[in-house]
Amino acid sequence: MVAQTQEDGSTSLPEPLRPLILPLGDRNLLVRFGRRLTDSANKSAILAAKILSGANLGGVQEITPSLISVCLRYDPVQTGFVQLSNAVSLTLSSAGRAPEMSAGTMKINVRYGGEIGSDLEDAAAACTLSPQEFIAAHNSATLRVLATGFAPGFVYCGMHEKRLHIPRRKKIHARVPPGSVIFAAGQTAITATHVPTGWHVIGRTDFRNFNPANEPPTKLAVGGIIRFSSDMRE
Amino acid sequence: MIVLEITEPGPLTSVQDDGRFKALKHGVAASGPMDRSAFVQGRNLLGCSSETALEIAAGRTAFVVRGGAVRMACSGGAFNLHVNARQHPWGQAIALNTDDRVEITPGAAGNYAYVRFDREIDVPRLMGSRATNTIARLGGLEGRALVRGDLLKLVPLTGTTKTPCQKGGARDDRPGPIRFIWGVHSGHFSPALRRNFISETFVVSQRLDRMGVRLRDPTGVFASRPNLSLVSDAVVPGDIQILGDGTPIVLMRDHQPTGGYPRIGTLISADLDRFAQLRPGSEVRFSPVTVDHAHSICRQAHKNDLD
Repeated sequence: MVAQTQEDGSTSLPEPLRPLILPLGDRNLLVRFGRRLTDSANKSAILAAKILSGANLGGVQEITPSLISVCLRYDPVQTGFVQLSNAVSLTLSSAGRAPEMSAGTMKINVRYGGEIGSDLEDAAAACTLSPQEFIAAHNSATLRVLATGFAPGFVYCGMHEKRLHIPRRKKIHARVPPGSVIFAAGQTAITATHVPTGWHVIGRTDFRNFNPANEPPTKLAVGGIIRFSSDMRE
Repeated sequence: MIVLEITEPGPLTSVQDDGRFKALKHGVAASGPMDRSAFVQGRNLLGCSSETALEIAAGRTAFVVRGGAVRMACSGGAFNLHVNARQHPWGQAIALNTDDRVEITPGAAGNYAYVRFDREIDVPRLMGSRATNTIARLGGLEGRALVRGDLLKLVPLTGTTKTPCQKGGARDDRPGPIRFIWGVHSGHFSPALRRNFISETFVVSQRLDRMGVRLRDPTGVFASRPNLSLVSDAVVPGDIQILGDGTPIVLMRDHQPTGGYPRIGTLISADLDRFAQLRPGSEVRFSPVTVDHAHSICRQAHKNDLD
């Protein structure tokens, strides 16, 4: 169950792609790739969401990718769990190569540390780095948008290199503002609304992923590639 | 111009429509009415397909109609309705005149009531819907519950919203256990705990809102729950989630789009409306059914709607 990157940069679904298919109540079906968040599980979920979205499966009303799964909302008058599970399995197992997920890298400028990034020093220390070294490492990573979830336009980006994997904070921030750049569990997330968080707040960006008046309301889609930058000149 | 002037906002009055579907990929739950079938019933009472209605939570709520006459239908639970201090029966369509004062107070049953007009509540459509999402703070009137002094314009229906609607959807109001389907994490709970979950009685707590209903667990079914570290995953209305302190919470229409707490099961859609109307202090038991059984209920209800 590992998505493999080919020499030409395209990504193919592993053969065979056998996710676990589970009912989530009577109107949703969950297609899950493993139990832990791994790079391959996430890639598989994103690819599967893309393939299933293009497959026009009967009775399916909404397809939502998460970190390691895809949720299909369906109309039980039009299809059933077994029928839809079979259609999903068949679609995924017969899918050919999927195109590379992203077109281009989006640069996201971040002001690190200070009052707006009050956990920067703690996060750096937990990685046994100075704040400057931490920022350099954080800027050097090319990250994928792993999922949108938790709150409107909230994106999980990852995965960071192993030395940047640190646990969440013990104490929760009751409310951080939109544009907060937060860090934990090998990931960086960007908030788009006011949310509580147990992650380390390392900085802030002017980038706003969510505007309900726009179509689409979010700028970043799962599978997109981003890089953080402390260079504010551009 | 016809306007509703909110004089008593009540504990949680919001504008709802069928819901903001297909927004989960942007991190936004669909919202929509807590009691869907009661919400739709108002359409049948008025013989129209208006998209919007006011959802009123149990508490004193009042408004005044300004600028013209309008027809109104009330549905959901059993509330008390007074127009100009005169009592009217619940669950009917009535005619209102300019300056009529409408007051709705909790009655024999229910947490949520719906007030619908033969007009549309004129709030902007956002991401395809006018539903208020109280947790994401979007939709409805400025993404919030109504407050005293709010003015809601009522505009004429257009197009298909003028035509009658007969779809009610699955609903079963007979008393009895709330039916659910074992969940994506139910295998993490011990067989003994699962047995207790379906044999013991829970109680609806005071802590309920559009996001979720916390249950009391007087016999301590979840006292010895597994300590799980789960990857955050898709959440749907009706999910029975067990918080870190062992509190069971049933997620409702304004749920977070994803969650990382273990879920023992998900209520079937035919019982979600009935569950939403259970008042604090109500005893509740859960009974497992298969997905196929839940689907047969949905299909039968659909057939009844067509007949």
